[in-house]
Amino acid sequence: MTFAEITQRLGAAFPDGIEVVEDTLLDPAVRIRADLAHAVCLWLRDDPDLHMDTLRVITATDRPPDAIDVVWHLLSMRHRHTLVLKARLPRETPDVATVSDIWASANWFEREQWDLMGVNFTGHPDLRRLMMPIDWVGHPLRKDYVRPDSYHGIPTSRDAVTPVTRAEIPRHLPKAEPTDNLMLLNMGPVHPATHGVLNFLLETDGEIVRHAKPDVGYLHRSIEKIAEMNTYAGTMPYTDRVDYLGGMMTNQGWAIACERLLGIEVPRRAEFCRVIACELNRIASHLVGTGSMSMDLGAYTPFIHWLRERETINDIMERICGARLTYTYMRIGGVCRDIDRETLDKISAWLDHFEPICAEFDRLITGNEIFVHRLANVAVLTKEVALSYSIVGPNLRASGVKWDLRRDEPYSVYPELDFDIPVGLGWRGTVGDCYDRLLLRLFEIRECIKILRQAIAMIPDGEVRAKVPRILKPAANEAYGRVEAPRGEAGFYVTSDGTDKPWRVRIRTGCFTAMPVIEHMSPGLMIADIVAVIGSLDVIAPEVDR
Amino acid sequence: MLRDVANWIEGLLGLDPATFAYSWITSVVVIGVMALVAFVFIAFFAGPVTWWERRLAGRIQSRIGPNRVGPQGVLQWLADGIKCFLKEDLIPAEADKGLYMFAPYLVFGGYMATFAVLPFGANLIAADLDVGLLYLLAITGLVVIGSLMAGWSSNNKWALFGGIRSAAQLVSYEIPSAFSLMSVVLIAGTMSMQGIIRQQGPWPWDWFVFRNPFLFLAFFLSLTSSIAEGNRTPFDLPEGESELVAGYHVEYSGMRFLWFMFAEWGNLWVIASIATVCFLGGWQIPGMSPAEIAASTGLAFWGWQALTLGVFVAKASVLVAFVIQVRWTLPRLRVDQLMITCWKYLVPGALFCLAGVLVLLAVVPENGVADWALRGVSLAAGLAIAVAYVWKTRAAYMADRDLYRRMEGKELWYPPFRLP
Repeated sequence: MTFAEITQRLGAAFPDGIEVVEDTLLDPAVRIRADLAHAVCLWLRDDPDLHMDTLRVITATDRPPDAIDVVWHLLSMRHRHTLVLKARLPRETPDVATVSDIWASANWFEREQWDLMGVNFTGHPDLRRLMMPIDWVGHPLRKDYVRPDSYHGIPTSRDAVTPVTRAEIPRHLPKAEPTDNLMLLNMGPVHPATHGVLNFLLETDGEIVRHAKPDVGYLHRSIEKIAEMNTYAGTMPYTDRVDYLGGMMTNQGWAIACERLLGIEVPRRAEFCRVIACELNRIASHLVGTGSMSMDLGAYTPFIHWLRERETINDIMERICGARLTYTYMRIGGVCRDIDRETLDKISAWLDHFEPICAEFDRLITGNEIFVHRLANVAVLTKEVALSYSIVGPNLRASGVKWDLRRDEPYSVYPELDFDIPVGLGWRGTVGDCYDRLLLRLFEIRECIKILRQAIAMIPDGEVRAKVPRILKPAANEAYGRVEAPRGEAGFYVTSDGTDKPWRVRIRTGCFTAMPVIEHMSPGLMIADIVAVIGSLDVIAPEVDR
Repeated sequence: MLRDVANWIEGLLGLDPATFAYSWITSVVVIGVMALVAFVFIAFFAGPVTWWERRLAGRIQSRIGPNRVGPQGVLQWLADGIKCFLKEDLIPAEADKGLYMFAPYLVFGGYMATFAVLPFGANLIAADLDVGLLYLLAITGLVVIGSLMAGWSSNNKWALFGGIRSAAQLVSYEIPSAFSLMSVVLIAGTMSMQGIIRQQGPWPWDWFVFRNPFLFLAFFLSLTSSIAEGNRTPFDLPEGESELVAGYHVEYSGMRFLWFMFAEWGNLWVIASIATVCFLGGWQIPGMSPAEIAASTGLAFWGWQALTLGVFVAKASVLVAFVIQVRWTLPRLRVDQLMITCWKYLVPGALFCLAGVLVLLAVVPENGVADWALRGVSLAAGLAIAVAYVWKTRAAYMADRDLYRRMEGKELWYPPFRLP
């Protein structure tokens, strides 16, 4: 459905609350009256022709002195159209109705926005701080926020030289022992299976988990705030750190958002360089994802074999951009340096070598009966739940939704390349179980190989960087750049204000929405299954916390 | 020989052989020396076998493994041991101190005590008890208590999980293990370890594993359940690193941690030698009956002992290598699957074997045509499994060979089975 039709229907349903935003680089956007937010969202989801089944992200933007904007990015995967809703709230009383009863993923989005921006989502079932400690004062992303000098006696300044003594810091969650003979078990923050610094509070009845509560924020570096203090180009290195296994994709997401803001056309060779680098990175990320998952289940050998292959990718990456993990390869308007013929040949040679290794891996572990029994029919994520929780990327495709940004919201040169999008078919169990999520990633690796071979064959000659002014000063506007990262959509929602620094940056990552769904699936699983679920969703902590 | 040593000491002390003190000192000396030998053996087996396991794992995982301390890293275990020895012995503040400190010794003691009845050669056995096998099954119960104690006293929920899992697992898997070994006892007519070996012959068709199809099945059941009793992958749930961090010994450090490791790798030998004794003919060598070995004297006697020791160690080492390979190949079971494996498959299977052996004992006369036919069938089954294994390995290699050939000589290429 086109934007005009959407606005027409919206206008008919809500005659006095809708206003189309014309001068924006965003997806089609409408401004709504704040008190209508819940009604409009519910209508948009339930109308059969619109069917906005997915909430991409909720953003709050501070507009001192008197307003806070709240922005909902909506998406209909069935009808393949998008809509952005904007509402303006008074800064003193930023109250808006929650939409967490419409989309389950809104729960965490709203908690985060309340925590960092102080938007009060009325009616929210559990409006607690998400990233900051529960007794933190103030909302750090507000423009007039002043950092306190110390927190429980611990100086917050880097220059403080006073020795830090152990302070009584209140925990993130009250940790009273639960009743009903349940045991409270802390899985994390340092636990071998949590892939980083995550914490799960498990209420267990023996081996059976009754409830798993994710507790995040241990790796919160506030990249969104850092980006506000940096220039557009200077933020690029920070985007690597959002997702350290898929740095290329987050680089590209940021680059696309900024290029959209500045209206820069990327040279064709640079686009191919980006595709090659990204797909290599995607393989590397899936290698770690599937490998560490098998390690979580007790099989160490596959992990080491995958890491050996990833080592070669790292070597190639080093040739391409000089870094092995945090690449900072992309530039606004291109890439930092060309991929020479020799490197391309090296990649081709590695692909020749890697393809049989995939088959080896399958023989080693994928078909192993113990492995299948550990994963098949475990933690089934149905299509409906996945959409409601805004699950993206391979996890969504494993639930049977054929949605891939490379094809459905095409960017770069992906439309010219021929590749399949595998979806979960319930290969050894139910659609959307852990085994589907694992196998889907293994299939995607093969698709990446296909893309790489084509891109290497098709790469044209030419420049790798557009002519970009030295100081980037986009006019006041906003743009949303999204790419298909290994863990799903990596979205960068950038608001500019005419200076050389962004006004507000919002980063939407795949893992952030994958965390609450673990809580949803946890009742009845066993402790060992929780480990498998974390592995199969490929959760990495820095992406959750940013 | 030990008696000679005891006699010599008593000669020094001037004791009369008829007195109580005489026999007392003899017993103490003999027990002490035996315990020392067993301990030294465990240390010198468990140590190098960690190196062996790590090298083998490195080979499987196409990496190198420890190769720095000594030639090819063979002394790595010594360096590890010294490191652990020098580490601080941490005791958590809230731990139950007495139990916490005692638990590792109980686990280690449980495994070390089994060495009293494990034979190494024709006459190399500390105590050839008439109830050797029963003693062996009983004494490993100490391990359950030890690991439960360690898990409970650490005051750590993960350790508690490990301890409880360990107890549940060990107690469950004792049953199929005991039943499948009982079928051997039925055939052998004795529980003495040496007695069981003497009932078998040096050649494969004389081994109990190929005596009849039921014992052939019992061999695999017994091996599986003893791997489970030893907390090895795929049954390493009590320590499941990615689930329980390290299970019941998560809080231990230094030497106390080392005792657990000693027990774990020492147990590899227990697994392998029980299987060797009960199913694979023990130390028997062709052309030399146990009676003849026992009758020989002097240097010849010790020569035979060394030879039988070699045969036994060789057989056991093959099994140890197999157990190590299994560990580095398979993923871990879930705890309910573990129990299902035991109670739904292994226990009924072991009972089936026991019943089958009983029936065969009643109806098939020994060394008759039917007996040899059963041996032939079992041997054929064993050969078929071996051939299938080799064929599958070859098929996997052939599947990749063409692809590898395409890569040969190019950069990034390495042979599929390159030595580290």
